[in-house]
Amino acid sequence: MNSELLQQAMREYEEKLFLKEKEASYYPEKMRELGLKNIERFIKYHPNPSRLMKLGITYAHRDLEIVAESMANNKPWAVISGLNPSGPLHLGHKTIFDELLWLQEQGAEIFIPITNDESYVVDKTKSLSDARRIGYDSVIPSIIAMGFNPKLTHIFVDSDYTDIYNVAMDISKYITLNKALKVFGFDESEDNPGSLFYRSGVQIAHILLPQYMEFGGPKPTLVPVGIDQHPYILLSRDVAERKKFIPPAELTLKFLWGLDGKGKMSASREGSAIFLTDNPNEAVKKIKSSYTGGSALATYQREHGGVAEICPIYAIQQYHFDAEETNLYTRCTSGQILCGKCKEYAAENVRKYLEKFQSVLPEAKARTGEFLLNTSIRSILE
Amino acid sequence: MNVNISLKELLSLEGLVTESPHVETIIQRTNETQPQNIKIFYGETYDEAGNTIDSMKYYLFAANLSDVLKTMGYDTDPVILVADTAACRNVSQNLQSRYMQLGAERTEFVEKVNRIYNCGLHIVKMSEYIDEPDFQSDVKKIIDLCESDPELMKMIEESIPPSKVDIEREKGFMYSFDEIATILGYDIKIGPPREDLYDKTAREIAKRLDRKQIMSIFLMPTFPVGLGWDYFFAHEDLEKYGITAYKGMSKRLQKYRILIGKTSPEYVDELIHNSFISTRLDIPNPILDIGIIVEMAKQRLKSKTDQIHLHKDFYNGKISPNDLKDYVSQGLREYVLNKLV
Repeated sequence: MNSELLQQAMREYEEKLFLKEKEASYYPEKMRELGLKNIERFIKYHPNPSRLMKLGITYAHRDLEIVAESMANNKPWAVISGLNPSGPLHLGHKTIFDELLWLQEQGAEIFIPITNDESYVVDKTKSLSDARRIGYDSVIPSIIAMGFNPKLTHIFVDSDYTDIYNVAMDISKYITLNKALKVFGFDESEDNPGSLFYRSGVQIAHILLPQYMEFGGPKPTLVPVGIDQHPYILLSRDVAERKKFIPPAELTLKFLWGLDGKGKMSASREGSAIFLTDNPNEAVKKIKSSYTGGSALATYQREHGGVAEICPIYAIQQYHFDAEETNLYTRCTSGQILCGKCKEYAAENVRKYLEKFQSVLPEAKARTGEFLLNTSIRSILE
Repeated sequence: MNVNISLKELLSLEGLVTESPHVETIIQRTNETQPQNIKIFYGETYDEAGNTIDSMKYYLFAANLSDVLKTMGYDTDPVILVADTAACRNVSQNLQSRYMQLGAERTEFVEKVNRIYNCGLHIVKMSEYIDEPDFQSDVKKIIDLCESDPELMKMIEESIPPSKVDIEREKGFMYSFDEIATILGYDIKIGPPREDLYDKTAREIAKRLDRKQIMSIFLMPTFPVGLGWDYFFAHEDLEKYGITAYKGMSKRLQKYRILIGKTSPEYVDELIHNSFISTRLDIPNPILDIGIIVEMAKQRLKSKTDQIHLHKDFYNGKISPNDLKDYVSQGLREYVLNKLV
């Protein structure tokens, strides 16, 4: 074997192992730092916990106890999960929506704000209308296509559901500028007033909206988030207490690795995401050229195995398909399966999924009206 | 009593005994104690709620243990202590006589159980011996020993739930000293696992006073009935030690306890059928716990002390959760509630 190639393979493997260690400590450290609780006890007691919980992808919570009481006793409770429509949904978003579907099965009333105002003020789209269009043309139909129950799902586009701005005004009285600056760390020379109002007003309004009188008043509310969104929850809990609402609970999910191996799957990094609207052949191509946890040298990988923990291809199969059933982790890390073959399986899974998903999109789009929220929030005006 | 279970099997009954000394250790002690009786002890206080089904677990087990030892040829003295004086220490002055009355009622209840299930128990009230010179002399020795040894004093403090340490300190830890003095004279003590802290302290004190050291047998903790999975999920503190078996108002969960003669049979059924039970072994199973009490009661009514297979049958999947609830509900009515009316 060419020793230079071998040396390179060893270096690459060491780097991947280092990343694996970093990944392994990242979430537990964050959990401790933010005072979150592990999801294990919930899994232990819930008669039928979600697949993502059992896989450890949904891994932490705060105050889930309060939500559990409503969940178990058929009392009203809500889930809120917003979405920035700067582009179509991708497999990273699908993770959260899979969890939302499970939460809905447990009786949650689900609120999904489509935050085209955020897309605009933080420069993710050129105009409010661009993001609004993406919202209606792509994001909302994709959400509906996932199978939500219209009776328990309320979707709204911020710029069209303008009542949300009245709620944001109502809420903004409970937050000082000083606190908002501390929590979100605004850059005075870069950020605009709109982004300040969005983050500290509108976003908190989304979280607390289900507790307004029009939706039955104070009730346990759960916010499934990535760990980076924790500050919003903290601020909303603070406001909730002052408004005599129930402080929202938090459910934290791990990110899905992007195909470039450089962090979470994101629309803003080219080549990182598989969009749910991607042509299936295009998605297959993305998978074939993806970064992996394997080695360039097949012999080396057969001997040492792949590093599944940092591999986006493994993650896609674990988060969304059949990695558990096919014992993929063991086969990968023991070197029984190499990346080429693994990518073939993943590509086939993704192709099938996208074909099926996209086949129901037109019908889903036609049902948009069933899901749009139009309840007027008069209680703060009269 | 027809005893069809060995001491080893009795002490290994799944779902009932959580910890016990080795059989050889017990036999060695019984041999050393002969010709005197081997003294078995279970002590409890009570509260206003009434008599819990959960106390019966201890009465019936003490009777079974005594019968097994007798079958082996040893003389026994199984004592159930109703700690009326101790119960009064926890209530205000104007409730003292009420609590002494409740103590008498609890004693009557234990006597009734003793009679109906032919337990052969020796029922004692704390007020009957607390003022006796021998007992007071033991208490004084224990106080002197603890006051002169910060390590022992620390053990006393640690045996008390953190929320109650300050109150007990104000009362000079008399509850603990009385309890330790009480158990000093016994060979085997039966109790819930959380009494381990008391028992350890008592053993240490017994060692210093050159007395025989108590051997502890811990039975499964008690859990409330009629509550869903959400309650157990939200109350992590409950998981390890449960609630106090003999106090119906423990953790203010009196609505979720079966109180003999007070809880109506209909409500008992409701509690049982609303209870969350899991097939996971690491999760509290209040229905199985009551089921085992029912099994013991049923056996004793038939003059038997035998194996109990309920735990194995449930966790092996032979009995479904719903079938277990039906079985326990029916058995409870037939072998406990109707008998103790």
